Amino acid sequence: MIRRHLLTGGSLGLANLFLSSAQKRVNPGKAKSVIYLHMAGAPSQLELFDYKPELIKYNGKPCPDELLKGKRFAFIKGVPNMLGTPYKFARHGQAGSYVSELMPRFAKFADDVTIIRSVSTEQFNHAPAQLFMHTGNSRFGFASMGAWITYGLGSENRDLPGFVVLTSGGNNPDGGKSLWGSAFLPSVHQGVHCRSHGDPVLFLSDPEGISRATRRKTLDALRDLNAMESQRSGDPETEARMSQYELAYRMQLSVPKVMDISKESEATHKLYGTQPGRTSFANNCLLARRLVESGVRFVQLYDWGWDHHGTSKRDDIEHALKPHIDEADQAISALLTDLKQRNLLDQTLVVWGGEFGRTPMRENRGGKEGAFFGRDHHPFAFTMWMAGGGVKKGVNYGETDDIGYYVVKDKVTPRDLQATILHLTGLDPHALHYPYQGLNQRLIGPTDEGRVLRDILT
Amino acid sequence: MRLWLSALSLFAMAQPPDFQRDIRPLLAKRCIACHGPDEHGRQAGLRLDTFEGATKSKAIVPGDSAKSRVIARVMHEKTPMPPAGQRLSATEVDLLKNWIDAGAKYSNHWAYEKPKQVSVLGNAIDYLIGVQLDANGLKMSKPASRETLRRRAALDLTGLPPDDSIKNLEPFEKYVDALLASPRFGERWAKIWLDLARYADTQGYEKDSKRSIWPYRDWVIRAYNENLPFDKFTLLQLAADRMADPSIDDLIATGFHRNTMTNTEGGTDDEEFRDLAIRDRVATTGQVWMGQTWGCAQCHTHKYDPLSHKEFYQLYGFFNQTEDNDQPNDTPVLKLTSTASTLILRDLPGDKQRKTRIYERGNFLTPGDEVTAAVPAAFHPFPSKAPKDRLGLAQWLIAKDNPLTARVQVNRFWSRIMGRGLVESEEDFGTQGAHPTHPELLDWLAVDFQKDWDVKRLLKQIVMSQTYQQDSSASAELLRKDPQNKLYARGARFRLDAEVVRDQALAAAGLLSPKLYGPPVMPWQPDGVWLVVYNGDRWITSKGEDRYRRALYTFMRRSSAYPSMMNFDAPTGETCTIRRIRTNTPLQALTTMNDPAFMEAAQKLGARPLAEMFERVLNRKPARAEVERIAKLHAATVADLKAQPENIAKLLKYSEALYAEDRETTLIPDARTRPREWRFVAGDPGPQWYAADFDDSKWSAGPGYFGYFEKPNESTPIKSHWDTDRLWLRIALDLTAPLPSRFKMPIRTNSQFDVWVNGVHALNNIFERASHYEYLLNDDGQRAFKPGRNIVAIRVARHGTKQSGQVFDPGLVASAPVEFPKPKGNDAARAAWVVVANTILNLDEALTRR
Repeated sequence: MIRRHLLTGGSLGLANLFLSSAQKRVNPGKAKSVIYLHMAGAPSQLELFDYKPELIKYNGKPCPDELLKGKRFAFIKGVPNMLGTPYKFARHGQAGSYVSELMPRFAKFADDVTIIRSVSTEQFNHAPAQLFMHTGNSRFGFASMGAWITYGLGSENRDLPGFVVLTSGGNNPDGGKSLWGSAFLPSVHQGVHCRSHGDPVLFLSDPEGISRATRRKTLDALRDLNAMESQRSGDPETEARMSQYELAYRMQLSVPKVMDISKESEATHKLYGTQPGRTSFANNCLLARRLVESGVRFVQLYDWGWDHHGTSKRDDIEHALKPHIDEADQAISALLTDLKQRNLLDQTLVVWGGEFGRTPMRENRGGKEGAFFGRDHHPFAFTMWMAGGGVKKGVNYGETDDIGYYVVKDKVTPRDLQATILHLTGLDPHALHYPYQGLNQRLIGPTDEGRVLRDILT
Repeated sequence: MRLWLSALSLFAMAQPPDFQRDIRPLLAKRCIACHGPDEHGRQAGLRLDTFEGATKSKAIVPGDSAKSRVIARVMHEKTPMPPAGQRLSATEVDLLKNWIDAGAKYSNHWAYEKPKQVSVLGNAIDYLIGVQLDANGLKMSKPASRETLRRRAALDLTGLPPDDSIKNLEPFEKYVDALLASPRFGERWAKIWLDLARYADTQGYEKDSKRSIWPYRDWVIRAYNENLPFDKFTLLQLAADRMADPSIDDLIATGFHRNTMTNTEGGTDDEEFRDLAIRDRVATTGQVWMGQTWGCAQCHTHKYDPLSHKEFYQLYGFFNQTEDNDQPNDTPVLKLTSTASTLILRDLPGDKQRKTRIYERGNFLTPGDEVTAAVPAAFHPFPSKAPKDRLGLAQWLIAKDNPLTARVQVNRFWSRIMGRGLVESEEDFGTQGAHPTHPELLDWLAVDFQKDWDVKRLLKQIVMSQTYQQDSSASAELLRKDPQNKLYARGARFRLDAEVVRDQALAAAGLLSPKLYGPPVMPWQPDGVWLVVYNGDRWITSKGEDRYRRALYTFMRRSSAYPSMMNFDAPTGETCTIRRIRTNTPLQALTTMNDPAFMEAAQKLGARPLAEMFERVLNRKPARAEVERIAKLHAATVADLKAQPENIAKLLKYSEALYAEDRETTLIPDARTRPREWRFVAGDPGPQWYAADFDDSKWSAGPGYFGYFEKPNESTPIKSHWDTDRLWLRIALDLTAPLPSRFKMPIRTNSQFDVWVNGVHALNNIFERASHYEYLLNDDGQRAFKPGRNIVAIRVARHGTKQSGQVFDPGLVASAPVEFPKPKGNDAARAAWVVVANTILNLDEALTRR
């Protein structure tokens, strides 16, 4: 299908059209697929990955003024106290990576992953921060990473969507469906939200009363009747639309098949901790493996519920964080094990993280410390990790200061991450663009600040 | 395609290049970003966007391309200009050379010159289209058939198939008048405007809470039906509150700019999001009225168009005085009746008015110089007597001197019924935008429209033209010469809008409710589509005819659009959408094949004879070949149904089975009526306490509410005291086959809980709700019920500290099964027609307006 936006008219425009599709792929990237695990709400890096013994020493002491002056916080008011982590950290693997006791299984993968402790963003509210991470802009109207990647590369499997989204935790992420939207890119590239309840894709199942055999017959009749119309009208779009019906028919078989985890072995279920019938992060991790195995290009998981402010037992770093990270630890480790065992890890880029970090200070909602412990939103420093798909093994990249407030070494912004992820899939983040409203839109935005993090690539 | 390319190139060479069509776009795309109006970004002090700038430094020597430095630079071997991206092609360099040799004449961007009317013979549209067809060796196609034309006009003007009561009016003009006079007209064109208005029924952002602004939507419908002239339409929406004596109805119109989003996410800064809303209003106003991308200048001077960074904030000044400031209650709100209210614009009193400052680099935390409200210098002056507020700005927008407003509106109306705009980039009439395919026609229509701003007259003018009425079939030659029909040598043919796809199906089936106006409704939607954080809102299917209203009345949640609308490219309302990009995806096929809303239409439509199905959907009789092919489908379907006879009743009773909510019965009443007794215990009962055979005889027995309050609460009478951290409950329920379905538990709680049915985990919840909330059991839970004795077991775990009380109260409801009678007589044949109807609704011809 000819995209219509590129042209300003005349022969010049048409010439551009022929060039643009060739421009997109630069090299066969190491990552054939991407699995992006987004922990919505912002998981606390100080409880998981960023070991700060100095902070533990200052536990309970008031926060110094220079860290508060001129800063805006979501909820902290006045002078909060510092909060050292109650959890033990240890070094793991040859890389000697610090991982807390909350992630004992993941710690075994220290030598397989690159942990980036120096991620820094400018947004400290959930929705804008998630939008910034995934669409390159904190406001609505911009295309998501998965849409860009499928726009650039298409997908290996003709019968499945190229970009699939799975959610867990009871809610959609705060940024909503725009996080996997296509915005100005052709809408075929939008993420397809596959649900683990009911139809995996909306309207996938034939209506009650129409069997598979009958559905096939209706499509055959449609094809013949449309062909008659096509003869009359000469419109090539009729043919294009018919092919979408055929793709839909194939999806009706292929999607439920790939989304059905019941046929997996007992051992696999035990490994992940999957809960058939329930929506869960563990289920979604297993599905992610199945999807990339089937050639889906970009699989994005949003797990909701990591916003550990500490206002109650339901969102503190003790009662709430522990069971949640335990489930996640098991599921993530299972995914990495599974990908490794199937020789998929090298060609699958796995990314894990939230939209910002959490403060080294204890949150004092409304200026008063409550009965529970938690941290406020913290944009300046947080931790993400990447594995597989061309990323170095056993690397600890970037550092924060003694108390984990600012990044002091090798700062990484979401733009850098976007550039790196695109690069690993074989796209040039600076060149991949789409003309819209007078600007060549890019995931990494209009400036060239997003750099590929070559230091962590093989 | 390549022949076409080179033919155009040759054509271009033969005459001196047209500055507007050939040179300006080239300069704009390749040079102006660094050599243009923006001082900050300007390189080497060189401007190429003006004659003075370009010739000052001999970058361009008029009449002598060989001496012109730009030519040397763009042709440079090693370091050509531009320094990034592709170098200029040979064709482009030749164009530049020819233009320079011919005198390097600059002209103002075409859209910034006032439109002029050339003289025409007869119908202006047909004349001016005809001139271009002649120049390209093409002719108009024959007229479309009577049936085709009437369906086309009905879909274009009312968004519905032709109505029985008017479809045979003769002559065609009378039919068109009837369409324009129909209330369906307003509904259709209101929806188009609502895209621009970024209308939605929620606030947007994270919480995306409900917002009552539907009276504004109704105002727009009425405005189109009453044919409110576009200038009044403009003045009222932008500034009714600033007028001398606005009526309530006038004030409702100001909801246009209250469609901006409100952010109630915890910890967000009200001023930050008030500012974003103001910027949106500036950007949207520029786009909708003048096709200008003013929004680009919020951070820096526009790179291409004449709008400086300062001028953006001068425009901002017009919008900066309103009361609304990102409050959760969306104040100011105009109360209309006891149940209806809407959002309006209202300015702060004089002494509270805000100063407007330029935000450096667009950052509201770094305000710079103060500015006062003013319009950009590149355009016509502000009307001398106009007030320096939104009313004055609105007057400036519709002033006779404004070169853009009429063109932009005319272009949009043209585009909606001709398939594409005369200017394809409807959202950008600036220097980066597309050149009009028919500049004289655009201008002629614009000047004409400005006479009275009469929308219905404009639309009628287009529809009555020969150009509009052409047959839309395309010969291979026409397709080759003009694939996108830019020259209009044939009628337009394009896929219907999302709303029309749905409305048409309902109307053809005889299901569509003619009810106008009113609060948004909730037609059937799959479970689990709404899962918005921190928001207990649920999609509760409307009752009766509200299930079958026109799509524009469907409740629009920004973060969770109605799926079939989204699948067919409807916007979400987060930002102004000037035009929808039509796409083609398998999700669309799945929607029209399988979305129950469409299947309902198929069921009803399938009860009619085949000829009537065609008449109602396609406005024509079926051809013999079609009848035969469909007969084959029907026969084959009958065979399938006879092999699986349970499907027959499923098809014939499809709609009844769909609405499970209509068949709800209470299996276990909760405390709001007469609650049943549960067995309960407050201490750990040990393992397998939820198993069917567990002995709970030693537990206490009592009905809800469970819990305690420090102060007794009359509306929540505690019948069974519970004050510990945990509570375990069990109850036995006897069911007989056939079992009900869609089990839900209405539960009142401020604690976490899990539910087991016959030992199967069926439900888990961690959220607190202020009242009984209906939880749908998970898939396992749904399947766990059986005929005979069932055990429902619940474990409750208190959250947080021991507060002033806690409460828990469960119930259970389910939908009674549908009776699917055994098929008899010609049921199989009847059911097969439903399948045929489903197929007909999916015909390409049905989904297209041709």
